[in-house]
Amino acid sequence: MELKSSASADRIQSKSRVRISWIVLAVVLLGAFAFALWPRSGPESIASHTARLSREFRCVDCEGLSVAESATASARAARADIRSRITDGESDAEIRAIFIDRYGESVLLKPRGDGIGIIVWALPILLVILGGAGLGFAFARWRHQPRLDASAEDESLVAKERDGSNE
Amino acid sequence: MKSRVRVVAIIVAVVVAALAVVLAINVGRDPRADANRSRLLGRDAPAFDLPLLNGDRTSSEGLAGKTIVINFWNSWCIPCRQEHQALVDWWSANKDDSALTMLGIVREDTKSATQNYVEREGVTWPIAMDPGSKAALAFGTRGQPETYVISPSGVVVASQYGPVTVANINEMVGAARRVG
Repeated sequence: MELKSSASADRIQSKSRVRISWIVLAVVLLGAFAFALWPRSGPESIASHTARLSREFRCVDCEGLSVAESATASARAARADIRSRITDGESDAEIRAIFIDRYGESVLLKPRGDGIGIIVWALPILLVILGGAGLGFAFARWRHQPRLDASAEDESLVAKERDGSNE
Repeated sequence: MKSRVRVVAIIVAVVVAALAVVLAINVGRDPRADANRSRLLGRDAPAFDLPLLNGDRTSSEGLAGKTIVINFWNSWCIPCRQEHQALVDWWSANKDDSALTMLGIVREDTKSATQNYVEREGVTWPIAMDPGSKAALAFGTRGQPETYVISPSGVVVASQYGPVTVANINEMVGAARRVG
């Protein structure tokens, strides 16, 4: 009786230990994400704001470069335009809208989060969710699988083999 | 257990089918198709006020009421040289039409290189420099040569990326005159 209660206490203890490790893992992961995403500096300067926004737009007369990286006159003009709009208090969304209006969606180096662009952002998240759900489902299934006990027939077979080898 | 497997399979199937439909709808569309057509077509032309190579100035306000052929070009661009003769021919045939004008706007070039080219090649239509590429940016140019035709009412009626021919220009000017 005592043995039984001690075994169940061990089981409960081991379960709570597993739960605590999951909680610790979740806290560490959340902490790491929060640390990575937390803004470290004060308000953004106009120069860094211009550089950040310029990286979003494709240089229209060069291949594969952003407005921030290109040295062409049109890229320099685009940077000056972005800077003056930021100085005038226009928001990032307003500036993006002006560039899209001028050149079309293809001016954006990063696809937008709507229309067909949503697939690019949603697909990896969807795959992670589906993968996680699949793993959870598989683990639950393994846990609930009945333990295979030896039947009387199996035991007699083993006993017979043992007897045979002893002889 | 079996019903749970079925539910998961149905969810996955629905998601995959939805993605397949979205992809099927969009797969035939060129994501950069908008790069081949000016967004200005049918809209008011951007205002400009630019220094001419001869020291004068030209502005959209000053040219209002005329059909304007605007050609973005520069001295080092090979396709610009290819279309040069077409511009010469069109201009010599139309320079006396007071309802028409042509303006060359220099894109990404120096004044001295432009001046040399203009003198060497006998360019007689007005050529404007574009300090800070403001006009090129306002027209949403992607390179050179690019030609825009503005109607007398100030609307961009036609555009062409790449070298033009006399027939191209006449067609675009015809469209601008019909718009009025």
